[in-house]
Amino acid sequence: MDAILKSDLHVKDGAAPAKSSVFWRPTAQTGLVSWLTTVDHKKIGFLYGIFALFFFLVGGVEALLIRLQLMFPNGTVLTAQQYNTMFTMHGTTMIFLAVMPLSAAFFNFMMPLQIGARDVAFPRLNAFSLWTFVAGAIIINLGWFMHDGAPDGGWVGYAPLTSKTFAPDHSIDMWVMGLQLLGVASIAASLNFIVTIINLRAPGMTMMRLPVFTWMTLITAFLIVLSFPFITIALVELMMDRLFGTNFFEVSNGGMPILWQHLFWVFGHPEVYILILPAMGIVSEILPTFSRKPLFGYPIVVFSGASIGFLGFSVWSHHMFTTGMGTMATAAFSLATMAIAVPTGVKIFNWIGTLWGGHISMRTPMMFALGFVWMFMIGGFSGVMHAAAPADAQQQDSYFVIAHFHYVLIGGSIFALLAGIHYWFPLMFGRKVSEFWGKLSFWVIFVGFNVTFFPMHFLGLNGMPRRTYTYDANLGWNTANFVATIGALILGVGIFIYFAVMAYTYFKGEKVGKDVWDARTLEWSLPNPPPEYNYRVIPTVHARDAFWYIKQNQAQIAKEEAEHAKAEADHGGIHMPFQSIYPFVASLGLLIAAIGIAVIDHDPSPGFWGKKIGTAMMGGAVMLIGIYFWALEGNEGYHLHLGEEGHDSSDKHAARH
Amino acid sequence: MRLSTLPSSFARWGLAGLALGTLALLSGCDYNWWRMDGHQSTIKVAGPVARSQLEVFYVTCWVTLVIFILVGGVLAYATWKFRARTAAEEKAVPPEQGHGNPLIEVGLIGASVLALVIIAIPTLKGIFYTYDVPEDRKADLYEITATGYQWWFKFEYPSEQIAGAGALTTGNELVIPANRPVRINVRGADVIHSFWVPKLAGKVDMIPNRANFLWLEADQPGYYWGQCAEYCGDSHAVMRFRVVALGPKDFNDWLSQQTAPARNVAAPKLADSNAPKAQFAALRTFKQNETGISDKFDVAPLDAWKAKQFPEKGENPALIAQGKALFSTKACVSCHEVRGHGAVGISGPNLTHIGARSTLAAGVIENNPEQLQRWIHNPGAVKPGNKMAKGYVDNNIKLTAEDEVALVAYLQSLK
Repeated sequence: MDAILKSDLHVKDGAAPAKSSVFWRPTAQTGLVSWLTTVDHKKIGFLYGIFALFFFLVGGVEALLIRLQLMFPNGTVLTAQQYNTMFTMHGTTMIFLAVMPLSAAFFNFMMPLQIGARDVAFPRLNAFSLWTFVAGAIIINLGWFMHDGAPDGGWVGYAPLTSKTFAPDHSIDMWVMGLQLLGVASIAASLNFIVTIINLRAPGMTMMRLPVFTWMTLITAFLIVLSFPFITIALVELMMDRLFGTNFFEVSNGGMPILWQHLFWVFGHPEVYILILPAMGIVSEILPTFSRKPLFGYPIVVFSGASIGFLGFSVWSHHMFTTGMGTMATAAFSLATMAIAVPTGVKIFNWIGTLWGGHISMRTPMMFALGFVWMFMIGGFSGVMHAAAPADAQQQDSYFVIAHFHYVLIGGSIFALLAGIHYWFPLMFGRKVSEFWGKLSFWVIFVGFNVTFFPMHFLGLNGMPRRTYTYDANLGWNTANFVATIGALILGVGIFIYFAVMAYTYFKGEKVGKDVWDARTLEWSLPNPPPEYNYRVIPTVHARDAFWYIKQNQAQIAKEEAEHAKAEADHGGIHMPFQSIYPFVASLGLLIAAIGIAVIDHDPSPGFWGKKIGTAMMGGAVMLIGIYFWALEGNEGYHLHLGEEGHDSSDKHAARH
Repeated sequence: MRLSTLPSSFARWGLAGLALGTLALLSGCDYNWWRMDGHQSTIKVAGPVARSQLEVFYVTCWVTLVIFILVGGVLAYATWKFRARTAAEEKAVPPEQGHGNPLIEVGLIGASVLALVIIAIPTLKGIFYTYDVPEDRKADLYEITATGYQWWFKFEYPSEQIAGAGALTTGNELVIPANRPVRINVRGADVIHSFWVPKLAGKVDMIPNRANFLWLEADQPGYYWGQCAEYCGDSHAVMRFRVVALGPKDFNDWLSQQTAPARNVAAPKLADSNAPKAQFAALRTFKQNETGISDKFDVAPLDAWKAKQFPEKGENPALIAQGKALFSTKACVSCHEVRGHGAVGISGPNLTHIGARSTLAAGVIENNPEQLQRWIHNPGAVKPGNKMAKGYVDNNIKLTAEDEVALVAYLQSLK
């Protein structure tokens, strides 16, 4: 990270452009301002990661409190309301503030590197996505510090429980506005990724040569762009009900609670794939690298990822098998859901095919990736059980469902993301995590995870409903709950080891050179940590595993590079975008507006311009100013001219022009 | 031992410990974790609907188990067989860079589809069977309406009309005829709840402004545990209920008892100095979330329920009369109905025959004097956020210990 923090190699091309004297273009390379104004996809990815890991920790503490409350029957660690707040915030935090942004961190950091680009298509929009995400996270969590408390409507926020009648305080308003901001952030980021992948691929990087992780980024981005509008609509309707007394979900006025469920799950089911597809992408990178063999059936893995994305939009009502949809709808959604098992199974077959005949190096990232395959398989099987609607009538909203989705979200998404952190750590920071501590953390996490969640299958089949703060001792749930809590504590220790080791490695870990894993994709051709401009010369791609090809054909590549370097120098050198503060200003405006809408009490006495509306208007104004200045300052940048010796791995060799 | 081998030996010990621990737990530390035969078991079922759902579950279980063994076996074998055993092997010449095999892919896709068809057929059959009462059983059908409130259940019997009072209405204990298909029309009064009696049938949501229904049948007379299965606010966890299935004669007896107005206990003459004096046992303090159900409901629940149908021994008519008066002066009447006693409130459960129910506060605590007093004394401690606790505050209702005991005596007399 040092180079990213302190890179001082950029040189302005002559005098700064005239416009920049009107609009301040920050140039700080260190300190707070550099982070607030950065447009570098790697720095933004790093920040996404840091925020995500912080909220992963918060969500983990919430989970441990939940497990402590349920450790024994009639537990008294939390009150009913505290417990309900805890599971609501645990779900919301883990999905929207931990797993999604951690995936976004990898999209940001790795995807441009994998396609041979110098940044994303819209660097300032990227910064806006990041800061809007932070604003949303703040709004959602503001309740902890307020009298109203944090939201307690469940992460699905079913109306009418979340209507003004049944949730009169501001906690649900904060949940609604927080999610709206996260939606803005996610959609903006996704459009950015889509444009980047389609337009900024290096020469020769055809679609069917894209690394699978980039493919999954693309599919995930499309899922976000297509699914988030549904929850946006649902949240707008709920907010209208709560603020202006409309009747979308207001039962006494003929509102339709079922409407919320449809809108929510049309978003919510693709959301599940938004959480798992990036994980599948990461695993599809790691397994070939450590088997030293290309991915088995690359086109089929890509195609099945896309099929999962498409089918993901046709199965939302399997979350609603118990809402009385009638036989036809239930049968249709049941069969469509089973159909998803086919492309999912295909991925698993291909991962095994990748291992077959390889030279498997059992390194920590590989352990997590294999752990993913096993755990995801179990989660997939319980998923098929849910797809069978009659069986689901018993399982729905029971601990069986809790077991299922933690197998796919922890055993799936989290394992893959932890694998990804280990895998790309040397590239990102130039240091390698110790194999001993890495493997130890893997085994503690693996054991803790299974001890926590496997017993929950039995709890669910034995009739324990989810979201219950207490249970009596006579229902046969005592042992399984006790075991699950012990498992959760082990899991907590494992996660602690994992991140303690990461933190240690960041500062003191073993320094490693380029391409420490003998990897296959383009990002590994970069020195570590990658310089601000990523590629000194935009590479030409000749094969699917581009870097593997480069390593096999060094003479050809060196010749090409020299030609490209000359061509690029003739075009003015490496073009870099200026930093900008305005994306941050626009996000700040959104934060202020959301506080006005969600947090401040409506005080009708001073007329229309009360505190609430005043704050909201002020936030809107700040946002507009930010966006206008952002537009007017223009998308200028500067050129870098690297000296001849600059092709070495270290940026220190880069000469000033 | 080399340091670098520690994680794998840790893993071996961890896995061994895991296996041993599992074995120990399965072999009977808890009497029913593995057997899954708790009161709300979906495995030890007691009716045709739950049985049909269980059969579908078993199909999915066996099919996925077979696939797991096959795929997991190949995965384990591949991981073992092709692993690099030494550092030299890791650095060896890379293996053949094969890109896949379309024939294998197509074959495996075909096999997956086949496995899903095996699951799909019983699934479809189950969907249609569990949806509504089969045609050939419709003649025998009994219909009941269940409505979910925050946080209790109201049950109405449309076929039992009572002159001037509409359909027979009870709360939190659903009495059904055994061996007859029962269609339950489920409604939501405020937020979404879900009707779930695991041993009899899977759940169906009680959604406001939506007319859902389910059907179920109890194979034989019995006492079944149910619980709200959709998160519905503060006290969702303690929104429970019971289903009591009775044989034809018992059911008819129960109906005639229930359709009668509330029971009157002859009040003693005011001047009767021989009337026994009220006993005020101090209410003990209850821990937060303390269990209020005794184990007689684990051993012989139906017998315990039947015992509640008869007047308590040693009733105190003076105390009952006092409680009856308090029931209106303390505003209980504004929310609760006691048919025949002038109480006509409808926002709380109907208490006409509350004394004959086995549980209180929506299946959370047992219906006995101690627990009833616990509930009346501080409803919010048993069921956080409930309307009765709020009603006390709004109406500035204060109850002395004597009031509580009198109310308990009165309510217990309502058989």
